[in-house]
Parts: sequence; structure tokens; C-alpha cells
Amino acid sequence: MTAAEWQIVRFTVEMAVLSTVLILPFGVALAWCLARLRWRGKTLVETFVAFPLVLPPVLTGLVLLKLCGRRGPVGHFLYSEFHFDIVFTWRAVALALAVMSFPLLVWTARSAIEEVNPALEQIARTLGAGEWRVFFTITLPLAKRGILAGTVLAFARALGEFGATIMVAGNIPGVTTTLSTGIYQLVQAGEDSHAWTLAGVSLALAFAAVWINVRLMRRSKR
Amino acid sequence: MSLILKNISLPLAPFTLEVDVEIHGRVNVIFGPSGAGKTSLLEVVAGLRAAKSAFIQLDDLVLTDVARGVFVPIRQRGIGYVPQDLALFPHLSVRQNLLYGRKSGGDKERVFPFERIVEVLEIQPLLQRGVAQLSGGEKQRVALARALLAAPRLLLLDEPLASLDLKLKTRVLPYLARVRDEFRIPMLYVTHDRFETLALADRMVVLVNGKIEQTGPVQEVFSRPASLAVADILTVETVLPGRIVKMDGELVTVAAGPTALVSAAQNLPANIREVYVCIRAEDVMVLKGGDVPGSARNHLPAVVKSVTREGALMRVELDCGFALAALLTKQACEELALLPGSGVVALVKAPHIHLIPR
Repeated sequence: MTAAEWQIVRFTVEMAVLSTVLILPFGVALAWCLARLRWRGKTLVETFVAFPLVLPPVLTGLVLLKLCGRRGPVGHFLYSEFHFDIVFTWRAVALALAVMSFPLLVWTARSAIEEVNPALEQIARTLGAGEWRVFFTITLPLAKRGILAGTVLAFARALGEFGATIMVAGNIPGVTTTLSTGIYQLVQAGEDSHAWTLAGVSLALAFAAVWINVRLMRRSKR
Repeated sequence: MSLILKNISLPLAPFTLEVDVEIHGRVNVIFGPSGAGKTSLLEVVAGLRAAKSAFIQLDDLVLTDVARGVFVPIRQRGIGYVPQDLALFPHLSVRQNLLYGRKSGGDKERVFPFERIVEVLEIQPLLQRGVAQLSGGEKQRVALARALLAAPRLLLLDEPLASLDLKLKTRVLPYLARVRDEFRIPMLYVTHDRFETLALADRMVVLVNGKIEQTGPVQEVFSRPASLAVADILTVETVLPGRIVKMDGELVTVAAGPTALVSAAQNLPANIREVYVCIRAEDVMVLKGGDVPGSARNHLPAVVKSVTREGALMRVELDCGFALAALLTKQACEELALLPGSGVVALVKAPHIHLIPR
């Protein structure tokens, strides 16, 4: 593999890891709220979270672009207050991957938390545990496998993201090019053999991630 | 311990749980058939379940007062709860389960030393094990120890022996008695088992279809059920309709079937004629023929219908004009050579014939 190809692989994995780490605490917190609490507007939140699964990724990317561009509300605020851009930078890549993989994490984590017997949490409370202690010593350890499976799934989804990424981050070689956008660009340029190299790496990463996910899910059922 | 439950109302599927009672004493049994609302009542006391209305006070602390919006959080109630399924933490070892709620300092009076609890409940050899490697009786002891180590002011036990077979039951029961005697912790004990009630409790509350039918000392409730429903639930073996034919001071003569029975019924309303006659199987003595000495007022010639084993005792079904059950030891059955068809005399003392107005 060439240095440029290595750079793309490394960059994609880094961005997938970053986005997954970023969404993990929010995803688990939201999953817990959905699994354990009843609140107004819950259905609406569920719908919004699931949106990126069903919307054309390009549309999700377009929304992000409009929000985070210098003329968008979020992008304008960040640029005028902190003097940095999101769109067409590595930050946009991480953002696109995070938004696109978030629903997979939330859904898997939610069902893992729902499978934890609430009676165990109740007993922990009668033994004097507060809500944080109940969560970290009972709920989280018992839902661990499912949450981990959801994390791996989200990571795998992030690795292959294309549509939203290309809208909000573009395809700037050495700056925002990921495996998917890289393959697209190479095929456009007629460099099929290089495209196949990246495709092979992509395949191997995806296989490993899904394989781990399947193993985790199987053991969590037991 | 004093536990005041006032104006408790909780709609359940077929009925509404409605309870108004003050509970005193060390071990109180809540007795009732399954589906009577016993578990729901415990959950309301522990704060695990919100009632529509409720006032709950444990000693001098108000735990719940729906009308005033008072609700002490579960973890601050100081109420230990051992649910029927025990709810041991499956991802923790026995030791970690035990230490989860352990209180070691602070309120010195209530804290039980870890070593002592482990010793009394014989948990030492289990400490390093996982929860999945425990037998039913072991799990029961671990759940009990875990609740005790949190140093509760009141311990709620939901049918702790119901899931165990008879043999295991008789092995675990002494542990409960030890806990009662050694740690002197007030307990509210839900069961529908007479044997457990008699073995452990001082007082009992009989709960039927969400309502309290009777409260009082265990012996008194068992020998003087307040209503037919209670007699039925306590499985007083013999309940039959009768008619009072004579009231002679303390002694009441009742016609039951073809027989006249003499009862030392107390507190019977003066105008009552129609009654139910209740006789517990333990209170029936059986003799073999001949002249009958002794002080018992009721001598009933009878024929043995069947002899069956019931726990450590033998249950003898008799026909003395009505069906009468007796519980005898195995030795007594053998000495009397009781077989179906044997002719015997059943003896029942007058104070053991309890009358319920009908």
C-alpha cells in the first residue's frame, strides 16, 4: 500500500474511533432514559434518533451542512466565538460518522438495558444504593455485553459511512478522505487497482467488527 | 417495632388492596392465599410501589404520606427486603453480594457484624462462589444475610421458603429462627404456610382479597378464626355447619349432623343460633374402643376412612357422622393399629371446638 492509502486507512479508523467514543456516553445515557423512564416527548426523541437510519444519508449530510456551515446557526456561532470551522474539516467527518452511527448504539444499548431485571435495581436501592451506584454497579455491568455489541456495531457503521460524510466534509485528499469516499474517488479517476486495495481493507475491518458484534450478542443472550 | 399502615389503597387487578392496621411485636406474619395482595403490601411498605393513598410510619418516622406528599426514598427507609425470587446479583460473587449494602459504622445499635452473620447462617464456605453455583437453600441464606448486613430497622420476607421442597424447608426454617433470636430484628413475613407461621411468628395478619380479615397472636387466630373465610384460609381441617341447641353458662351445645358437640365458646353473641363448628386436626385425639376415661367433653365414636402421611405426622380421616380429620404421630398410628375400617373414639376438648357465627 502507498503512503496515501495508509493515511486514508489510519484517518478513517481514527475518525470512527473518535466518533464512537464521543457518542458512547450520550448514547448509553439516552438508552437508559428510553429503557427506564417514562417522559413526555419520548416517542418524538425516539423518532429523531432513528431518523438517520431511514433518511438518505445525503439528506442527513445536507442538514448537517446547513447547520454547521459558517452561515448555519451552529457553524456561525462556533466560528464567531471560537474561530474554527466544522464543514470540510476532519471535525465534519467525525460529526457525520457520529450522527450516522448513533441510532445503532442507542437501539442496541436500549434493549440491553431493558433486559436487566428491574427487581435487581430495586433490591440495590433497598440496600442503600443511590441512583448512580445502582447504574454503575448493577445496570451497566449486567447490560455490558449488549452495550459493547452496540458500540462495535456503531464503529462498523462509522467505518463505512459515505453519503453524509461527502456532503458535510467533502472529499479532500489528505484532509477529509475516508475509505469510502477514497474508493469512490479512485474509481472515478479510473485507478481501479488502488480502489480494490482500499476495498479489501474496508472489507477486512467490517468483517472483524461484525464478527465481534455477533459473538457478543450471542453470549449476552445466554 | 411499631408499623402503622393507615388508609392504604392500591388498585390491583381483581380487587383493591385496602389496609388499615398497626403492627407491633417482633415477627409478624402476613398470612393469606396466593393473590391476596401480600407481596403488593410489602412493596408498598418498602417504597417499591406507589399506592393511590397511604400513610406508613415505622416507629417514629413517617415513610409515606401520600396526602402530604411525603415519600422517603427507598434507600433511606432502612427496610430490608428479600423478595420471593431473592434477586441475588448474578454478576457478583456471594461475598460481593453480601457486602453490597453493608453498613459498618454509624447507627451502632442496628449493625450486625459480618463474621457473626456469616457464622449464624453458615455461609463461610460459600463466600468465594458465584451466585449461579448455589443451591436453593444456600441462595435463600445468602439473600437473608445480604439484607441483614444493610442493618435494616425492619426486614420484609416474601414467602422465603415457598420455592423450597419440604425437606429443604425444614432445613432452612431453623436459620430464620436463629436470625429472629440472635439479631432481634423485627420481621414482616409473608406466607401461606401454617407450619412456618406457628414456628416463627408472634402475631399474624390474615389478608384475603386485599382486605385484612383478622389480626392477633398466632395461637389465638388459629384457634379462633374470626370468619369462615379465615378458617378456610388457615385450613382448619374440619369446618361444618351446626346449630346451637343449648347455652349452659360457659358451655354451648351444638347439633352438628347427627351429633351433639360441647363447646366452650367465648364471646359468642347472645342471639346467635346458626354457627360454623371449627376443629383443628391437631386438637383431635384418637382412642381405640372400650371405656373412655379422661376429661374431654366430646366423645365421638368413629370409623377410620383413611390414613395418609402429612409431613412428620399422619393425617387420619374419620367418619363420626360428619367428616373429622385428626393429626397423629406415626407411632400413635402404629400402636393403635389404625387402618381404614377400624372403629375408634375421637376425643375433642370443649375449648378446642370453636364456633363462628354464620
